[in-house]
Amino acid sequence: MTHDVTPPDSASDWLDRLLVADGAATRDEYIGDDGFTAKVIAALPVAIALQPSWRRPAIVALWGVAAAALAVAMPGAIVDVGREAYRLLATQPVSLSGIAGAVVAMLVLTGAGAAYTLRQND
Amino acid sequence: MAEPPVTDAQLIARALVADDRHAFAELVKRHQSSVRACLRKLTAGNHALADDLSQETFVLAWRNLKSFRQEARFSTWLYRIATNCWLGDARKRKEELLGDRMDAVADENDSDVPHTDDMHADHARGTSLKVDLERAMGVLTEAERAAIVQCYHNDLTHEEAAYVLGCPVGTVKTHVLRGKQKLKAALSAYAP
Repeated sequence: MTHDVTPPDSASDWLDRLLVADGAATRDEYIGDDGFTAKVIAALPVAIALQPSWRRPAIVALWGVAAAALAVAMPGAIVDVGREAYRLLATQPVSLSGIAGAVVAMLVLTGAGAAYTLRQND
Repeated sequence: MAEPPVTDAQLIARALVADDRHAFAELVKRHQSSVRACLRKLTAGNHALADDLSQETFVLAWRNLKSFRQEARFSTWLYRIATNCWLGDARKRKEELLGDRMDAVADENDSDVPHTDDMHADHARGTSLKVDLERAMGVLTEAERAAIVQCYHNDLTHEEAAYVLGCPVGTVKTHVLRGKQKLKAALSAYAP
C-alpha cells in the first residue's frame, strides 16, 4: 500500500499484509468487459432535444391572444359562465365544521405525502 | 504501460459538450473493471448484484457528469458514486442477501477444496483465507467495510477515502481501525 494507513502495531502486521496482498490481487485481476459497456450505454437515458429559448414565451403569448380573442368574440358567454360558477359555489351548504374538517384532511394528506416523498429520497 | 491516447478529461469534455456517447463508452471500458471489482468487494462477492450496481453507477455518472469538478480523479469520483449506490442498496436489503451469499460461498468451499496432499492443502489454505476474509468482512458495519475496501482494495489515501465516503479523514481512520480490530478477531486462526 502506498499511502498513510494507520501504522500497524506488531500484532496486526499480519492482517495488514493480508489486506494489502488481497487488495493487490484484486486490482491485478482484470474483469473482462463481456458486453458490460454495451449494457451501460443502452441503459443511458435518451437525450432530450433542447427547446429553443423563445418557445415557452411564444406559447404563453399565443394562449393569451386566444383567451383575449375568445373574450372579445363572446363577451356574454364569459360573463355568464363566471356568474353561474359563482352561484354554484356560493349556494353550497357549507358549515364551519365542514370547512375545518376539510382543512384538517388537507393537512393530513399533505403531511403524509411529504413524509412519503422524504422517505423515498433517503 | 503506454499512456492512453486520449485522457479521461478529454473524453469527459467530449461527452459533456457534444453529448458524445462513444466518448463515455470509452470511459466505461477504462473503468468498468475497477468499479466492478470494488463493488464485488463491497457486496462480499455477489457478482450479479455488483454488476447491477456498477451499471447504476455509470448511468448516474452520465447523468451527473456536469457536476464532476475534476477535484478528484475520475476513478475516485466513480468509487464515490459506486459506494453510495451500494450503501443505498444495502440499506434497502438490510444485508439479508449478503449473509445468505456468504454462507453459500463457505459451503461451496467446504465441499470443493481437497485436503489430501500438501500442494492442494496450500492452495486450500489460500482459498480458505480468501473466503474467510470475505466472510469476516461481513461482520463489519457498512461504514467500516467501505473504509477498508477504499483504503486497501482501491489503494486510496485516507483523504481520497474521505472524499469517497463523504466523511472527515478522522472518521475514515476510526472506521479502518475498528474494522481491522474486528477482522483480527475474526481471522485470529491465521495469526502467526
